[in-house]
Amino acid sequence: MNKALIIALSAVSAISFLGSSCRRDVSPETKEVVVYVSEDRVFSEPILKDFEKETGIKVKTIYDTEETKSTGAMNRLIAEKDNPQADIYWANEPIRAVVLKQKGISTPYFSPNAKGIPSVFKDPEGYLTGFSARARVLVVSTEAEPPRSILDYTNEEWKNRSVIANPLFGTTTSWVAAIFTIWGDNKAKEFMEKIKDNGVKISASNGESTLLVANKEFAFSLVDSDDATNVIRDGKPVKQIYPDQEQGGLGCLVLPNAAVLIKGGPNPENGKKLIDYLLSAETERKLAFADCAQIPLHKGVETPIDVKKIEDIKTMDIDYEVVATKLQEIQEYLKEWSGY
Amino acid sequence: MILKIDNLYKSYDAIGAVNGISLNVEKGERVVILGPSGCGKTTLLRITAGFIQPDRGTVTIDEVTVAADGKCFVEPENRNIGMVFQDLALWPHMSVYRNLEFGLQARKIPKKERRKRIDQILVKMQMKQYENSSPNDLSGGQQQRVALARALVSQPKILLMDEPLSNLDLDLNLLLRKEILRLQQDLDITMLYVTHDRDEAFSLATRIILMSHGKIQKVGNVEEVTEYLSDLFNPC
Amino acid sequence: MAKKCTLLLIILLLAVIGLAPVVSMFIKSFFVDGELSFKNYQILFQSKRQWSLLSHSLGLACGTTFITVLLGLPLGTVFAKTDLPLKKLFTVLFVIPLVIPSYILAVAWFYFLGRGGILAELLGANVGVITSRFLFGFWGTLFVIVSTLLPIVIILTITYLRIVDPRLEEAGKLSAGWPVVLRRISIPIVMPGVFLAGLIVFILTLGEFGVPFSLRFEVFPIESFIQFSAFYNFNAATAAAVPLGLITLIVLIIERLFLRKKTFQFRTVGPEETRIMMPLGKKKPLFFIAVSILAFIFVIIPIGVLMIKSFSFSAYHEALVRGLDSIFRSLLYASIGATSLVIFGFFLGYLLERKALRLSFAADSLAIFLFALPGTVISIGLISLWNTQATNFIYASAVIILFGYVAQYTALSERIMAATFSQIPHSTEEAAQIAGAGWFCRLFGVLVPQAKYGMVAAWLVGFIFCLKDLGITMIVYPPAHDTLPVRIFTLMANSPEQVIAALCMIMVVVTCLPLGVLTMVTKYMR
Repeated sequence: MNKALIIALSAVSAISFLGSSCRRDVSPETKEVVVYVSEDRVFSEPILKDFEKETGIKVKTIYDTEETKSTGAMNRLIAEKDNPQADIYWANEPIRAVVLKQKGISTPYFSPNAKGIPSVFKDPEGYLTGFSARARVLVVSTEAEPPRSILDYTNEEWKNRSVIANPLFGTTTSWVAAIFTIWGDNKAKEFMEKIKDNGVKISASNGESTLLVANKEFAFSLVDSDDATNVIRDGKPVKQIYPDQEQGGLGCLVLPNAAVLIKGGPNPENGKKLIDYLLSAETERKLAFADCAQIPLHKGVETPIDVKKIEDIKTMDIDYEVVATKLQEIQEYLKEWSGY
Repeated sequence: MILKIDNLYKSYDAIGAVNGISLNVEKGERVVILGPSGCGKTTLLRITAGFIQPDRGTVTIDEVTVAADGKCFVEPENRNIGMVFQDLALWPHMSVYRNLEFGLQARKIPKKERRKRIDQILVKMQMKQYENSSPNDLSGGQQQRVALARALVSQPKILLMDEPLSNLDLDLNLLLRKEILRLQQDLDITMLYVTHDRDEAFSLATRIILMSHGKIQKVGNVEEVTEYLSDLFNPC
Repeated sequence: MAKKCTLLLIILLLAVIGLAPVVSMFIKSFFVDGELSFKNYQILFQSKRQWSLLSHSLGLACGTTFITVLLGLPLGTVFAKTDLPLKKLFTVLFVIPLVIPSYILAVAWFYFLGRGGILAELLGANVGVITSRFLFGFWGTLFVIVSTLLPIVIILTITYLRIVDPRLEEAGKLSAGWPVVLRRISIPIVMPGVFLAGLIVFILTLGEFGVPFSLRFEVFPIESFIQFSAFYNFNAATAAAVPLGLITLIVLIIERLFLRKKTFQFRTVGPEETRIMMPLGKKKPLFFIAVSILAFIFVIIPIGVLMIKSFSFSAYHEALVRGLDSIFRSLLYASIGATSLVIFGFFLGYLLERKALRLSFAADSLAIFLFALPGTVISIGLISLWNTQATNFIYASAVIILFGYVAQYTALSERIMAATFSQIPHSTEEAAQIAGAGWFCRLFGVLVPQAKYGMVAAWLVGFIFCLKDLGITMIVYPPAHDTLPVRIFTLMANSPEQVIAALCMIMVVVTCLPLGVLTMVTKYMR
C-alpha cells in the first residue's frame, strides 16, 4: 500500500510539474503575449524575439507548418473559439484573416502604425491590417522567351511544362479565388479547365513547385515571391517575373501578412502592442532584407535591390473579403479539380 | 467440521466440471480426492481456495460461508488456507527465505515472529541451509520442500495440495510422501490432497473421495475404496 | 475488490482521456450547419472517389504489412536465434528509421532518388528519371513506409522468440534440423507476436498521410486532412476518419478469431545463455552479406543522405541554437509519456491477458481504435473537451500533450504488457493471494518484479512513439511547449536543407542515446 501511495504521489507531482507550466491566469494581464503565427518560423521568430528584447514582454508562440504537412494554427484558433488562448494571429496571407473575422474569432483594432499602409490592404472595420507582402510571381527556368502572364498556363507552347501548387491549400487557393472574383465563375472555370487540358502538373506546395522549376523539371510555375527570391539567392538558374504588368493587364496578386487581434484573448493590451510593432516600417524593412524578401507596404521603406517596391507593382484589383467568401464557395469545385 | 461443501456445481461452456458435489472434512483429516484427469478434482480444489466461484452451491470454512451461488464472500487471501500448486509457483525473483516471508508480511506478522516461524519450518523441511538460495538453483525435491514450507508457514486451517508430487521420480515421490505425512501429523493440519495416482492416495489418505465426470463415485477409507474399485473392474 | 476498482479506474481514465474527446467529435460529425444530418457520411460513402482512395489505402496497408512481415520475420529470427556476427549492431541500425518521422525519411529518399538527387548525379540524368518515377507513386510510397515500419516486426519477433520455451525446441531438435524446428516449432509459437506486429504496421499504414501525399500517391486519409486544413470542417473531417477506425476493428476481430483457439507456450525469461542459438555454419557469410545489403538499403542510405546534407559545423550549430530547448522538452515529455503509457499498459495488459473483468476485450478494442484514429481527430476532440475556463490548468499546460499520448499510444504498451503477463504463470499470483497478499501487495511483490523486462520494453516503445509524435503534439501543444518534431516541421519551410537535415540527425541521436543507456542499464540489472 505504501508503494502505491508513493507512486500516486509521484504521479500527482509529475502532473503538477507539467501543470506548473500552465500559462493562463485570469486577469490581470501578465507580462506576456501569445501569438499564433502562420508566417514561416524562420522569418517570424527573429521579429518576435526583437519585440521581446525591446519591450520586455515575453512572447509565447504557436507556429504553423506548410499547409500540406500538418494542420496547425488556423485549426487551433477555430477550435479554441470558446476559450481563446491566443492574443494575436500573424497570418501569412489576408484570406485566412478574413475567415477568422467571418467566424467571429477576431476583434477590430486600428493601430496607429497602420496609417501609412494603403487602405486596399486593410479591413475597413479594423479586423485585419496587412503588412510585408508577397506577390504571386512566375518562377521561370526556360532559356526561351519566358511566359509573362497567367494566361500562359493555357498556352500550347507550354503544354506539359508548367506546374502549380495544389489549389486546395495556401496562397494558390487565394489566387484562384481572386481570379473567380475578377472574371466571374464561368470564365474562371473555363480557365481552370484549360490549364488542366494543357497538362499542368499539380505539386504539393509552392516550395515544391519552385524546386521542380529550379531543377529544370518544368519551365515555369506561379509561386510566391519569397520562394522565387530565395531560390535565386541560392544561385539557381531561374528568373522571377511579375505577371500581367502591362497596361490593361490583370496585375499580379499581392498577399500581405495580416495582423489580427483575437477576441477574448488573455492579454489584449500586449496584443495591441505587438500588432503595432508588426505594422511598423522597421519590421517591414527587416522582413524585406530577410530571406523571405517581403514587399513593404509603407512608402519609402528601404529594400534590397531584388525586392520590388509596392508602388512599382501593378496589383490585382480585389477585395479580400469578397475573395474569402468566394474561396469558401469554390472549395468543392477546387476539390474536384484537384482530383480529390 | 472445518470444511463443508454443499451441492456444488461448476460448468465451463456448458460442460459440467463439478456436478452436485457435497463433502465434509473434519479437522485433522487427510482427505485425498482421487480421479482421472478432467474429472473435476482440481476445479473443486480451486473453488475451495477461492480462485473460482461455484455456479451453485456453498463452501463453508470453519462455520463461515466463504462462497455461494456465484458470489465470493471471503477472498482467498482471507481464508487462511495454504496451497501447494502443481507447478509449485515459487517466485523466481525471491530467495527461499523471502518466498516464505512474503505471506507473513502480508498478514502483518511482526518481524521477530516471522523469523521464528520461517526458521522452524525450514528446519522441519531440512532446508535451513538454503534460505538465501534462489528457487532456480534448487533441485526438484528441494523446490517441493520450499513450496510445502511456504504453504505451512502461515499456519493455515486447511492445506490444499494439487498433485504436488506428479513431476517427481519414484524415490523422491516416496520420500516426500513420508515427509508430508510426518508434517501433517506433527502440525495436526487438515489436508485436502488431489491426485490421479492410486498409490499416492492409498498411502496418504485417512479418507478417499473417488471422483469421475464431476461427481463423487465413492467416499470411504482405503479398504472400502479398494474393494469398490476391485468390484468395478471385476464385477463377477 | 481493490483489483476490480483499480482496473475499472484505469478503463475510466482511458475513456475520459481518449474516448470522450473522440465521442464528442463523432457526435458532432452528425451535425451539418447546426442541424442533425447524415450528410457528412452520405457524401463520403456515396463518392466513388472515396472508395477508390480507400482501396489505395488498403492496398498500401496490406502490401506494407506483407512485406514487413516477409522481411522482418526472417531478420528478427536471424537476430534472435543465430550466431550472426554484429547482430546487436544490426538490430540497432534497423531500429533507427522507426525513430525518425516518416515524412523526413521520404525527404531523404527524395534527395537520393529524385531527378536531381544524389543517384542521378552519380549515374546520370536518365537514371534519375527512372528512380524518380519509382519514388513518386505506389511503389515508392510502399518502399518508404516499409523502411519506417520494418523495425516493428523485427523487434517483436526478437522479443517473442527470446521467450520460447527452449525445451520445446530441444524436443524438436531430436528429430529434425534447425530450419525445420524454426519453421514448425519456434515461429508458429510466436504467431501472436507476429500478428501484433502486423496489426500495428497495418494500422499505422492505413492512417499514414504525409508520405503518400509527398510522393503523390493518393490515399484515403487525405479526405480527413483536406476537411481540416482546407475547409476547417471538423465534423466532416471526423466523419472521414471513422472508416479507418472501423476497418481496424474488423482486423482486430479477425485477429481474435485466429488466435483464440491457439495456446502459446512461453517460459519465464531467463538469461541469454539458456536460449538455444542456431549456428549458421558455412552459410554465415551469406547471411551476413544479405543482412548487410538490407541494412544498407533501408538504413545507411537515408541516414547517410541526411548526414551528407547536414555535413557542416555551422548547420549543426544553427540546428542546436534553433532547437536546443525543444530537445530537452521532447525528452522530458516523452519520458513522462512513456511512464504513463507503462502504467496504463500494465493494468490494461493485465486485464486483457488475465481476462480479469468482462470488459477486457472492450478495453482492448478501445485502445486499438484510438491507436487507429488520426492524431488530428483526437487532438481536436481534446481541445473541444478540455479548453474551458475550469479545465484551463490542463489545457494550457503540457498535461494536454500527455493526454494525447495516452489516448493515441496506450494500445502499444497494453499489448506488450499482455504478452509479458502471458509469460508469468497465474499460479505465482494465486500463491501470493492464498498466502494472504492483497491486490497491491501481489502487484508490487510478485507481478512487477517478474514483469519488469516487459515494462522496460513497453517504456522504450512508448518513448520512441511519444518522442516522434507529430499528429497530436502539433495541434495541442501550449505556446512555447513545442517538441523537437514540431520544431523541425515548423522550421522546414524555407530553412536551409542542411539545418533541417542536422535537426533530423539530432533527433536520431536524441532518441537512440537514452535507448542505448537504458538497454545497458537493463543488461546490468540482469
